[in-house]
Amino acid sequence: MTANNAEAAGGAAERRTLRIDGRRLRSERTKQLIIEAYLALAEENSPHVPTAAEIAQRAGYSVRSIFERFVDIRALQVAATDYALVQAAALAPLRDGDGDRRTRIRSQVEVRARTCERWLPLWRSLVVNQHESEELKRRVTISRERTVARLEQMYAPELSTLSDLERRQTLIVLEALTDVDSWERMRKHFDLSFDEASAVWRQAIDRLLPPTPPPNPA
Amino acid sequence: MASGPSLRRIDGRRLRSARTKQAILDAYLALLREGTQIPTAAQIAERAGCSVRSVFERFSDLHALRVAATDYAFLQGTAKATEQDFTGDRQTRLKKHVGGRAWICERWLPLWRSLNVNQGESSDLRSRIFLIRQAILKRIELMYRPELSTLPETERRQTLVAIESLIDFECWARMREDSGLPVEEAVEVWLTAIDRLLPPTPVS
Repeated sequence: MTANNAEAAGGAAERRTLRIDGRRLRSERTKQLIIEAYLALAEENSPHVPTAAEIAQRAGYSVRSIFERFVDIRALQVAATDYALVQAAALAPLRDGDGDRRTRIRSQVEVRARTCERWLPLWRSLVVNQHESEELKRRVTISRERTVARLEQMYAPELSTLSDLERRQTLIVLEALTDVDSWERMRKHFDLSFDEASAVWRQAIDRLLPPTPPPNPA
Repeated sequence: MASGPSLRRIDGRRLRSARTKQAILDAYLALLREGTQIPTAAQIAERAGCSVRSVFERFSDLHALRVAATDYAFLQGTAKATEQDFTGDRQTRLKKHVGGRAWICERWLPLWRSLNVNQGESSDLRSRIFLIRQAILKRIELMYRPELSTLPETERRQTLVAIESLIDFECWARMREDSGLPVEEAVEVWLTAIDRLLPPTPVS
C-alpha cells in the first residue's frame, strides 16, 4: 500500500469512526429524551405508569425507538429511576456537617424537604409500582439507604453516644419520620406549608436525638 | 302477607346470603394478606367456596368489594381501638396505644397498600383513606391529651403530625420487612420514639 493509499484508508476509517460515534451520540440523546419524557409523564400522572405510546408521543419519537433502546417499559422505568436518583443526589449536597446541633438539624431538614418536594410524584409512582419489580424495589431500598447514610453523617455526634441497638432504632425512626410519604402527608393531608412541615421535622428530630456531647478538647 | 314458614324461609335465605357476603369479604382479605396483589373474582370465589356469579350478585364489581372490605376492616379496627380506654399513667397509655396500633398494622397492611395503589381510580377509596387517617390522629389526641394539653397550639399540632408520621402503616412495614424486626422490637421502637416526642406528663 502506498503512502497516499494508506492516508486515504486511514481517512476513511476515521470518517467511519466519526459516523459511528455520531450515531451513538444521537442514539444516546434519543435515549435521554425518552427517559426525560417518561419522568415528566410519571410526575404528572403519578402513580400511573406511562405507556409506550404516551412516552413516544411526549418524546417526539416512535414506539419502535423506545423498544430499540429499552427491552420493555420496566427497563425504561428502572433507567429513569437511576437517572432521577443521580439527579436527586447531585441537587442535595451535604452541608453544614460540622455545624452545631441546631445548624445541622436545620440544614439536613431543609435539604431533605426540598428533595421530597421535588421528587414526591416520581417517588409515589416508584413506591406504588415497586412490588411488580425486584429492580424497582431495590431502587427504593437504595434511596432509603442513602437517606440513612445522610442521617448518620449529619447526626454523628449524637448517634455516637448510643449503643448499637439504640442507634439502629433511632435511625429507623428518623428515616421513617423524614420519608417522602411523611412529607406528602404533611403537605397534602395536613395542608401544611413548606415552612410549617419543615418545622415539624426540626422539632421532632431535636426531640428524638439524644443530647449532643461536648466537643472533644483540642 | 307472608306466613310463618314463608318468613322463616326468607330470613333463612337472607342469613345465608349475608354469610356468603362475609365469606367473600374474608376471602378477599385473606388473599391480600397472603400476598396476592390484586385478587381476581375467580380466586376470591374459590377461596370463599362460592361461584364467581355469587360474588357479583353481592358486589357490583371488584371495586365495590374493595370498598366494602375497607369499611369492614375500618369497623374492626375501630372496635379494637374502643376496647381500650384512654386512662392510665403515661407508660400505660403508651403501651395501649402502640400495642393497638401494631395489631392494626400487622393485620391490615396488605389492605392498606391495596387502597393506596387503587385510590387514584376512586373517590370512595380516597375518602376512606382520609377517614382512616383522621381516626388515627383522633386516637393520638385522646390517648396523649394530658401531655398535649401542656403545649401551645402550634407545637401541639407539630407533635401530633410527627407521631402520626411515625406510626404509619409503611413505617411498620419497613421495620418488619426491611429491617427484619420482630413485632416486640418494632413495638419497642415506637414506644421509645413517642415517649421522646411527647412533652413531660403534667402532675395531676
